[in-house]
Amino acid sequence: MRQFTYTRARTTAEAVTAFGRAGREARYIAGGTSLYDLMKLGVERPLHLIDIADLDEMRHVDTAGERLVFGAGALMADVAENPVVRRDYPMLSESLSKAASQQLRNMATVGGNLLQRTRCPYFRHGAGGIYPCNKREPGSGCAAIGGLDRGQAVLGTSSACTAVSPGDWPVALTALDAVVELTGPAGPRSLPIADFYLLPGSTPDREFAMLPGEIITGIAVPKTAAGRRSTYHKIRDRESYAFALTSAAVALTIDGGRIRKAHVAIGGVGTRPWRARQTEVLLEGRPPTREAALAAAHAAFAGARPGKENAFKLELGARTIADAVVIAAERKV
Amino acid sequence: MSIERNPDRPRIDAREKVLGKAQFAADRPVPGLLHAMTVPAAIAKGDITAIDVERAAGVPGVVRVFTWRDFADIRETPATRGGGGDKPGYQPMKRPSVRHRGEPVALVVAETLEAAIEGAEAVSVRYRPSSFTASREQPGAEREPVTVDHRAGDAPAAFAAATSKLDVTYLHPQQHHNPIEMISTTAAFVDGKIVVMEGTQNSAAFKFGIAGMLGQDPQSFESSSPYVGGGFGQKNQLQQQSALVVRAAMLLKRPVKLVMPRSQLFHTATYRPLSRHRVQVGAGADGKFEAVLYDIEQQNSRFDQFGAAAGEHVSRMYATPNWRSTNQRVRVDVQAPAHQRAPQEHPSSYATECAYDELAYALGVDPLELRVRNDTQHDPITGKPFTSRNLAECLRRGAARFGWDRRKKEPGSMRTRDGMLVGFGVGAGAYKASMSPAVAKLRVNADGSSRLAITGHEFGQGMRSAVAAELINVLDIDPNRLEIALGDTSVAPQHITVGSWGCASSAPAARAAAELLRSKLVELVGAGRAKGPVASAIARARRPFLEVEVSQAGLEQPATVFQRLNSGMPAPVGPEYKQFTAFSWIAHFAEVHVEPSTCRVRVPRVVSVCDCGRVLNHRTAQNQVRGGVVWAFGAALRESAEIDARFGRILNNDLADYVLPVNADIGEIDVELLDVPDTNLNISGAKGIGEVAMVGATAAIVNAVYHATGKRVRHVPIRIEDLL
Repeated sequence: MRQFTYTRARTTAEAVTAFGRAGREARYIAGGTSLYDLMKLGVERPLHLIDIADLDEMRHVDTAGERLVFGAGALMADVAENPVVRRDYPMLSESLSKAASQQLRNMATVGGNLLQRTRCPYFRHGAGGIYPCNKREPGSGCAAIGGLDRGQAVLGTSSACTAVSPGDWPVALTALDAVVELTGPAGPRSLPIADFYLLPGSTPDREFAMLPGEIITGIAVPKTAAGRRSTYHKIRDRESYAFALTSAAVALTIDGGRIRKAHVAIGGVGTRPWRARQTEVLLEGRPPTREAALAAAHAAFAGARPGKENAFKLELGARTIADAVVIAAERKV
Repeated sequence: MSIERNPDRPRIDAREKVLGKAQFAADRPVPGLLHAMTVPAAIAKGDITAIDVERAAGVPGVVRVFTWRDFADIRETPATRGGGGDKPGYQPMKRPSVRHRGEPVALVVAETLEAAIEGAEAVSVRYRPSSFTASREQPGAEREPVTVDHRAGDAPAAFAAATSKLDVTYLHPQQHHNPIEMISTTAAFVDGKIVVMEGTQNSAAFKFGIAGMLGQDPQSFESSSPYVGGGFGQKNQLQQQSALVVRAAMLLKRPVKLVMPRSQLFHTATYRPLSRHRVQVGAGADGKFEAVLYDIEQQNSRFDQFGAAAGEHVSRMYATPNWRSTNQRVRVDVQAPAHQRAPQEHPSSYATECAYDELAYALGVDPLELRVRNDTQHDPITGKPFTSRNLAECLRRGAARFGWDRRKKEPGSMRTRDGMLVGFGVGAGAYKASMSPAVAKLRVNADGSSRLAITGHEFGQGMRSAVAAELINVLDIDPNRLEIALGDTSVAPQHITVGSWGCASSAPAARAAAELLRSKLVELVGAGRAKGPVASAIARARRPFLEVEVSQAGLEQPATVFQRLNSGMPAPVGPEYKQFTAFSWIAHFAEVHVEPSTCRVRVPRVVSVCDCGRVLNHRTAQNQVRGGVVWAFGAALRESAEIDARFGRILNNDLADYVLPVNADIGEIDVELLDVPDTNLNISGAKGIGEVAMVGATAAIVNAVYHATGKRVRHVPIRIEDLL
């Protein structure tokens, strides 16, 4: 076992200070459901772990104000089961409850979940010189390109990386224009979630627009009436405990049988959580039928670049969006 | 011959398992234990030019780093891995070369597991890689000659003359067993002997095989495997690390344990090889088979002896006057494949039962009716009668339980109320009814306690419950005070427990022992006083205990078979016997729902009706069928090794990425066991069930997918993209 130090922070400020002292080989750890896994795989090799799981100041779930506010340390299971979230934002609840397993959701935090790393098998299973990976070892190449690419992204890829963004929750948050609250050595700041995730470009090792030592402290979601008519629809290789092949987070405002406003984001297909703006525009003014939705949904994949085995995600992804529109539209307001 | 049927009884080891008292190999406490970790080869083929162990040896807690130099004298014997036969297999770490990706190239032994892992990561190996072939489609794949494995009549001529012909090819992927109990080896020193503790279906191999490989006297070894956490054929031989760990313990004169990480197991343990199945069927307009030509191509390693042998059961399924099945192995640079639950029978039933389904649709014959119409009571290959064959009954009863009469003929014509496409599918299966010699030593004490030491292994299939049933039936003993010792070479000679012959071999031995003990009691106290619970009668006779030992051979086996048993050699008999041919039979019916939009396939229910002879324990037998159906579901819709041929590696080498079914995938599985004793075979009337359980079930699901969608997918797993 590789040696590392372990510090349990009592306050956020203490955590940031500890990180500053430890240097770049440090990692914050909360639920540990992702980081420990990657440490065992040799993908992450931190020398210092700073445990932020005990920070009470990050555990709150506040649904009373104009925004839903989730402390970064709130557990996935708790947010998924929050009655207000379930009633008014089924999309958020479903994106959490359809992720991982109950055991993992009982440990994992909603802040940590934003930082979950890709499930690209060449990234995960290739440490120690087995597979080249620009994300794991910048400049080493990409084994997924030209390899087994059924699970890889079709949107936002580059010649350096096609790794798919794995999350469900981040997709739902992207659809609802969430804001990520951060703090770090330079103090607190907020980032729209659209700016939080980076495209791989030539630097796929840079995934998040975070500065060294920054911590996610919370997530804020502007309230919207569209929340009640929403769903997170997830298609995967088995009924549970699997990452999305394709997913769609859809929230609708419907007026007189027509979609007035649509929020659509998709997962399983992009190198980052993917907002389907063109689909949203095409849906507006249309009835929420499967036919109308499918036509709009295809637009989400206009710029897609499939590989050898993942072209099916274009059609599947469009059908997933269309089905999600129908499910969301049938929800009671 | 009439024989009692077994009532419903709990699993005899349920309580100790629920309490966590059943100890699996790696759980057993050993004082002074050292921990080992392997270093897997980072290349697929080539030479090792240097191994730098200095940094690893310097890791605190590391005791020793072994390389090929320490193991060069280990012998490759027929017991060495390689899939059976009499040819030596391949043992890694004997030489400075690598024959497949991931094989061990160094073994680090340390005071703690953590130090062993850290040490293994610190070993630096330099290689001179050579080019390799990871797939049958690549240059360098070595095709062996085609061999005919079963033949009847003149199949090519009859096929040419047939009025209806079908010629289809099905593909089956590479699959990995993934038993939840990890493969582990512990070598310990007890009373002057080396005791090898490994979860195995073949403890004798760890006494005689290890001794042979290490050039030692088998009498200085014992092997103990009282509980196995799932074997499925992956634990039926010595593992790549087994001899290495034992040798390491001998060199260090301390006990050593290695638990092989699952990610490495994908590259070191055996697996079900990829196979390709061409099925040509010639039939009359009524659907009666006139000829079947069945050709299997199977991907093997360069060095194993694992045969395709895929015609053995499918040639017996139906009345087929003209049959020819052939096998061809294609060798590439991978580790050895071997048996995985229903080894040849699962893929071959998948291919043929799907092909017959295609024929049924082509001829407009109900797929169920096609099977019943081709039923036979005689083995088409030998012409002999079957010992018992109730397949048509299985099909009829299954159809009734399932509601097959609600099936609409046209594919894509049935829907649920919420718009799901509904498909009904049927598939049938068989598995040879073999037996092996077994020894049973039974002692019943006057205080009501008893002990049975017996040949056999318990890997969750219910061996203990099966042998206990016979003792309870014959002797009316108290199951709560019965100790059963098995899977241990020090308690009774051990035979490899595979091929669904375990319970049909050990239960007759237990029954014979019970009957012998009963007759000894009659001798002692007279028939009248020997009735009732045997312990009371022993007490009344003022004896502290009665003890018997029996050696029970399989049907028609000569007494010399015990020489093989006593030297750890496999000695099975069947399915062909002098008078007849013997198989277990099963029929599966599956209902699938396919979501029309995103094409997710669900299997809300399966009905399986099995003729496994007399049922020894209803709960464990039914569990076997349910488990088999789950495996078949996995094969139909989930499982596949994803192999990147550029690297020669399995990409999805963990349980997160190797897609197995989860609970949410599995619907209702309704099992009926006919419970018709086959006393032609043995005194317990038992045939196997563990393997036949899954044979034909994948085809039932695949056929149902066709019925739901009208799409005939000729590979598994069927995934969403196949149906979009």
